[in-house]
Amino acid sequence: MKNIAITINGLQLTGREDMTIFEVAQANGINIPTLCYKSELPPIGACRICVVEVEGSRTLVGSCHTPIAEGMVVHTHSPKVLATRKVIIELLLASHCGTCFMCSKANMCELRSIAADLDMGLPQVPTRRLYYPVEDVSPYVIRDLSKCILCRRCVRACREIAKQNVFAVAYRGFESKIVVDFDQPIDTDVCRDCDVCISFCPTGALSRPSKVTDEKKGRPLIICD
Amino acid sequence: MPEKRIVLRNCNAIKPNRISTYLAGGGFEALSKVRGMSPEQVIEEIKASGLRGRGGAGFPCGLKWELAKNSEGDGKYVICNADEGEVGTFKDRYILERDPFTLIEGMAIAGHAIGAESGYIYLRAEYHYLLDSLMKAIEQVRKRGFLEQFDIDIREGAGAYICGEESALMDSIEGKRGEVRYRPPFPPTKGLWGKPTIINNVETLMNIPQIILNGAAWFDQMGTERSKGTKVFSVSGDVERPGVYELMLGSSLRELVEDLAMAQRVKIVQVGGATGRIIPYSMLDTPLSFETVLGAGAITIFDESRDTIDIVYRTLEFLAEESCGKCAPCREGTEALVGILSKFSRGEGESRDIVVLEQLSQAMMLSSLCGLGQAAPIPVMDSLQHFRDDYENRIAEKMAVQ
Repeated sequence: MKNIAITINGLQLTGREDMTIFEVAQANGINIPTLCYKSELPPIGACRICVVEVEGSRTLVGSCHTPIAEGMVVHTHSPKVLATRKVIIELLLASHCGTCFMCSKANMCELRSIAADLDMGLPQVPTRRLYYPVEDVSPYVIRDLSKCILCRRCVRACREIAKQNVFAVAYRGFESKIVVDFDQPIDTDVCRDCDVCISFCPTGALSRPSKVTDEKKGRPLIICD
Repeated sequence: MPEKRIVLRNCNAIKPNRISTYLAGGGFEALSKVRGMSPEQVIEEIKASGLRGRGGAGFPCGLKWELAKNSEGDGKYVICNADEGEVGTFKDRYILERDPFTLIEGMAIAGHAIGAESGYIYLRAEYHYLLDSLMKAIEQVRKRGFLEQFDIDIREGAGAYICGEESALMDSIEGKRGEVRYRPPFPPTKGLWGKPTIINNVETLMNIPQIILNGAAWFDQMGTERSKGTKVFSVSGDVERPGVYELMLGSSLRELVEDLAMAQRVKIVQVGGATGRIIPYSMLDTPLSFETVLGAGAITIFDESRDTIDIVYRTLEFLAEESCGKCAPCREGTEALVGILSKFSRGEGESRDIVVLEQLSQAMMLSSLCGLGQAAPIPVMDSLQHFRDDYENRIAEKMAVQ
């Protein structure tokens, strides 16, 4: 396969012709943030966090799905790109449930992590928040859709890796929601214990039902008597 | 420039349920001529004519066909986009009601040019009442033997604005949820069911038989330098004579709005529907062309009794409702814009809201996945440019009350 020369942030780089901008950047240690892309899953270009500036292009382009082309000049962290990423993260945070302190994903949340990297404060955009009751019918997965950012990793992971097709998107626009069947809580009839979706969820929307950990099951350790 | 009927030449002149009336006026002569030409010659002719897509984006038609023809793979498709979802457009309905045969002929010519054996007409859900007459028209053409090398089927939409966007339209035909795909790959390389596909607006295809019969040079001498031929406009709103008008490209907006549609006390003209440009009365001499403003030819006139912020607010409400929800900037951004505009419409807007409106608009234009999200902020940006006083007066009124 042919090699293609491109410029990213002033660096002369080469990549195979089937590679995307994101892949070339990653291979060369340039970190582009993303919320929907995972190398194990087919790209969908939904979160738009990975947008980059390509010289000559009218808009910014999604780096996770745009193939490289000869002579392409890319800026992954230009002021225009950073300003845009900040607005998108701010929008996601504004409609997000905002209970980080109580969230089990707290410091492992990818949304929070990108927000911290971009030096973001509290969101200023006035917008609605959608609250859904937590779904804990299934013994294998808890779904808290108030924390869902619609990255669709679970939809793709379930289809592509677990080879099931449990999740789908229903409703549209701001009301869009990841649903099971005709918007029913997930239960053991449709989903068995495979955990794949949970491991892909960037926020606390999908989690394992918590159990008492082994540390608390042993004989009580009594220090002095 | 007066009205000029090229696209609409057969409308009201033929009977839409009688193919004999179409044949008597020279119908299917262009298709017969094309059958004697090579695909390259046909594409060359369309390219030389300078015909650009009439659906709003204005992509050169011949170039699109050439890309699809040169794409590897069999089972290519021609799709006619008859979704006509843009707010304030009804020209395609007018055409489909009155002259389905020219459209079928145009599609068959496109099929010959790119090497496709089948095509679809994607009909919007609201035009369901036209399904029967269209199927009968196709059947009549089939019986006359004009569709032996290329057959046409109809697929109906289910009432989503986004399905007029070409990639969502293809998803819808494939039976999926109508959502946009990222590009590249573009449809001429990888479209319907992964096959090379061209998607043309009804009006674009209506031009094809005339270009083939009269030659590229005839078409090329009409219009402006980069906008050739005529355009069909759907005029509605505060006018005395709303309706469908076909004008030479480059005609002024004033001619259409004031002379033909007889509008009075015009305040705003929205050109291109919900995601179209907002033109104030002072700019009414703007020519209508791809270089300036055009869109899909929806012209909505608002007179002095209308409130700018209310117009923009309602427009954004529509776009938020119709966003497919796939990409974050559009899904969340349209909702946020509606939230801020509703504050202004209630008289609760603040000066910092204008800053947020501008920041949001900029980010959405730059990063959204498809044309809906990229163009949704246009009414906001245009109104802030031309009618900033309206926003600032609202803020001042609020301050005065406090």
